[in-house]
Amino acid sequence: MEDIHISGFKDCYIQPTVDFVESTGECAISGESFMEETAKFYWPLVEWVKEYGKKHNKIVFTFSLTYYNTSTSKWLLAILKELREMENEGGEVTVIWHYTPDDTDMNDDIMDYMVDTGLHINMVPFDEP
Amino acid sequence: MESAVTEKHRMVDNIAISYTGIFDTEILSVLAKEIEGTLSPDDKVNKKVFKIFIELAQNIAFYSLEREANAEGNDTGVGTMIIRNFDDHYVFSTGNKTTMENIIPVMEKCDNINSMSREKLREYRRLQRNMPAGEKGGGNIGLIQVALTASNPLEYSLIKCPDGTYFYIVSVRIDKE
Repeated sequence: MEDIHISGFKDCYIQPTVDFVESTGECAISGESFMEETAKFYWPLVEWVKEYGKKHNKIVFTFSLTYYNTSTSKWLLAILKELREMENEGGEVTVIWHYTPDDTDMNDDIMDYMVDTGLHINMVPFDEP
Repeated sequence: MESAVTEKHRMVDNIAISYTGIFDTEILSVLAKEIEGTLSPDDKVNKKVFKIFIELAQNIAFYSLEREANAEGNDTGVGTMIIRNFDDHYVFSTGNKTTMENIIPVMEKCDNINSMSREKLREYRRLQRNMPAGEKGGGNIGLIQVALTASNPLEYSLIKCPDGTYFYIVSVRIDKE
């Protein structure tokens, strides 16, 4: 499988930056995500994580999104479910989520993701390393 | 404090930003920048309006009955967006053409959302998010998110057009903090 590198841009199409590296198991999605056709963008990412989980047993996944629309939020859940699957199979899964402390919507959202997936998400404020 | 409904009849007053036309990605990003950068001195309020804008604008792009091709030739919804600025709040409204058949479930959805507490809304959002992502744009969660972000009810109205279609307006109040 090949690593995924996508540069985020928001002038015309609003997509996040993606870095999935197979050799280190370090994966990150950052920036903003509110494109209209979320399926086209996220489907390959979900497939990558699923495929990765079959071959490896350790992953560190970092979400650093300052904003995502509700359509994106469905796909983030799909990724988290794949990570949970990997954990259920005995994998060592670390999920880090950067958030803005006064963004109530996002804080609630991360809590809801934990309830939905049973995964532990490490919440780290954006200004901390 | 006036509600969005009592302000409805003077829709043209206090306009901060308004736009009518296609809601394609390019327009969306231009309007988003305008809202994020210039609407109010309070970034937190701007962010709220921005989030509400994205969800409602994408609903227009997907569901408006009136459609046009954008510069790339992609079929895109046409509609209207108005942000009005009052002393202690903004009112964000979008409008688009629809049919009675298509809009009844949406209005029922608004009533349903308005009857729920914040906790119930979060539960409802979780339920909708766990549904298969086959649906166009996931518009179902959009309205729930708008109510959660604004912490105010969704207000809607329907105007009959001469051609037999309807113009659907949804408004939400965003309090300045």
